[in-house]
Amino acid sequence: MLKYGYGGKILRVDLTHRCFRVEVLDPSWIRPVIGGRAANSKRLFQELNPECDPLGPNNILIFGVGPLTGSLLPASAYYTVSAKSPLTGILGDSAAGGQFAAEMKQTGFDQIIITGKADSLLYLWLTESGVEFVDCPELKGKNIIDTSAAIRKSREDWAVQVAAIGPAGENLVLFSTIVSSGNRVNGRTGMGAVMGSKNLKALAVRGARSIDVADPLAFLDQTRKIEKDILKHNEYKKRYQLGTTMLMKDLNGIGILPTRHFQEGVCDYVDDISGQELAGRYKVKNKACFNCNLHCSRYYIAGAYEAEGPEFETLCSFTSRIGCRSLDFALEINFYLNQMGLDSISTSEVIGWLMECQEKGLLKASDLDGMSITWGEVDKIRELIDMIVFRRGIGDMLAEGATRFSSGFSEEAQKLVMQGKGLDMICGDPRGIKAYGLTYAVASRGADHLRAEPYFELTDRKEEAKKRFGTEKAADRLSEEGKAELVTYSEKIALLTDCLTMCKNIGLCMDILDFKKIAGLLKAGTGLDYPPEYLEKITTDAIDLDHKLNIRFGAKKEDDTLPERFQKEPLPSGPTKGSTVDIKKMVNEYYKLHGWD
Amino acid sequence: MIQVDISKCTGCRRCEVACAFFRTGRVNNHMSRIKVLQLYEEGIDGPVVCAQCQERYCMCCPEDALTLGPLGQIICSPTVCTLCGACEIACPIGAVEIFNDLVYVCDLCGGNPKCVEACTEGAITFEGKEKERPSLSDIKEETRRMKPGLKRKHYIHKNGQKLRAEWRKERA
Repeated sequence: MLKYGYGGKILRVDLTHRCFRVEVLDPSWIRPVIGGRAANSKRLFQELNPECDPLGPNNILIFGVGPLTGSLLPASAYYTVSAKSPLTGILGDSAAGGQFAAEMKQTGFDQIIITGKADSLLYLWLTESGVEFVDCPELKGKNIIDTSAAIRKSREDWAVQVAAIGPAGENLVLFSTIVSSGNRVNGRTGMGAVMGSKNLKALAVRGARSIDVADPLAFLDQTRKIEKDILKHNEYKKRYQLGTTMLMKDLNGIGILPTRHFQEGVCDYVDDISGQELAGRYKVKNKACFNCNLHCSRYYIAGAYEAEGPEFETLCSFTSRIGCRSLDFALEINFYLNQMGLDSISTSEVIGWLMECQEKGLLKASDLDGMSITWGEVDKIRELIDMIVFRRGIGDMLAEGATRFSSGFSEEAQKLVMQGKGLDMICGDPRGIKAYGLTYAVASRGADHLRAEPYFELTDRKEEAKKRFGTEKAADRLSEEGKAELVTYSEKIALLTDCLTMCKNIGLCMDILDFKKIAGLLKAGTGLDYPPEYLEKITTDAIDLDHKLNIRFGAKKEDDTLPERFQKEPLPSGPTKGSTVDIKKMVNEYYKLHGWD
Repeated sequence: MIQVDISKCTGCRRCEVACAFFRTGRVNNHMSRIKVLQLYEEGIDGPVVCAQCQERYCMCCPEDALTLGPLGQIICSPTVCTLCGACEIACPIGAVEIFNDLVYVCDLCGGNPKCVEACTEGAITFEGKEKERPSLSDIKEETRRMKPGLKRKHYIHKNGQKLRAEWRKERA
């Protein structure tokens, strides 16, 4: 029986029969995967039929937390939602911070495994004793903040945390999201649609169990050191003021800010849409995830729109990436997407792709219900988003995502979708950040940076690069050398932060965690032994398992690549001018390091 | 007394975590004597903790289990307390609450409050000196018969309105 760190129980919920079962978490099952994302993947590997319809009752939707979630560890605030992705057909998962995970942890359930499909819309009321199935026809079509407020009000308790879907999830838009704490989003891979397909509007949690650690004094000592590392970090001040929106100017400065759908890497009006501008004009205060001392999130008021955020990805997605100059517009869309439950990156990709295809004459207005759209046309963008959320007109097809929608068009048009394994690419042009390029190509959930977040290549630490990865080139963003080694290392730390359910900005970008520190935290937290060598081994195994899971879903080595643009078209201007990515070489090296065929 | 400035609160709950941890060795928001509310709809976050009100509503304890400490803090004797709940009902802002047979109310950690130490934002501060104590008589009327969780929501929401007006003015 697990006494410390872990809640020690898992909860199985069958929506079809409206029943649940509590199981004891087997220590020998959980120890090799720690918790969080790796535990979710293992569960899917063991229990999911890979052939299942992602939007059918047999798909398994898992909410997972880790042994240190909701503890003294700063920013131990994340939970991961996993399932087979309806957008990509492979492994889908997405994590979110805020307050939901800490409250879920207080229920004592480390994993909530949801199967089946409810016969009518309901939400789950989750406490330490299990779940209650609450019918909620009145919440149908409600936006996310109203849903969360209605549930908290009915429970007369504002400590209740709610993770809900919006209209987009109910309408099974394949890139719809789950949102908790008002604006904390499980954005990627369409987890909202999986929830919608199960007729599950929300999970509302309120737990009363304590989070105990094995050695409170040692744990306190270690977490205090981490707090100090955060406070004295050279990026602390900037991150405190701007959060991830600092990347607008930073990426533009090195010529990799996606502009007009990755046609350029420099945006000439970046000053109008930067994080600095946002903070100066609209920010009213800092916000933070559970127990974090970085407080990098922000609350803004912009006219009629106010919300938490936006993070860099959303800000870039609705400014430079689709040629929009208006910061006000991006703030409006951030609010709207979070309320409707739509992933900003995938939404931006659909729109940006349409714009580029129409510009190049690959797509006619008649292909788009008579609509022609070009860069920065905010009224049309608004209309398109609305059509997608409610699957109206052409929006019904666009709601399937850019990759699927493009399949009805020419090969040339299909090649312009910036995706990997069906997942729309994040904002950051891989031609100027090669380790990120490799990460997008090999990431087990599709084109995404968070699987490894090799921020190290941007930190110019040549000596450290030589020491860690055998070549100074690993710290040179334009070089392809040493990047397979860098990614192989940082994907392990990334996985561990997902298992501790800590924030990646802190764990990885700020380079706060390493194997030794994680080993210490896990030992003091859980009382179980996790020596650094063991962590190396189990993270390697967990990454292998994701790979095997994707092979079962039908993914092939050829799918681990980047869109042709990044391999053949050099960036036209700026500090990354002339660069392309030799992705094949890096992927081969990466496969070799992993011992994969 | 502990002074709260909700304009600086980010909703991180470090105060809440520290309170429970240093008093019990565990983390559990029910066991914190300071509780943070996040009102997502309006962007307001704020901790609720004993305000050391002029009225001292909680001192209505029929068993005299509550006494005043030298810093004006409330000290509850668990051996005298019969868990009748009178203090919880009396407190207008939900700063006194019973959980698992114990009364949770801020006793200032005896003069060195751990929540204040944990706050990096200056949203809660503590000076040993006696300050003019606030009156909660208005709130008392408004939160009658509410559960503690709802009282806290009402209190933070109310305090938040002034702040929101300032934000609006500043960002107009």
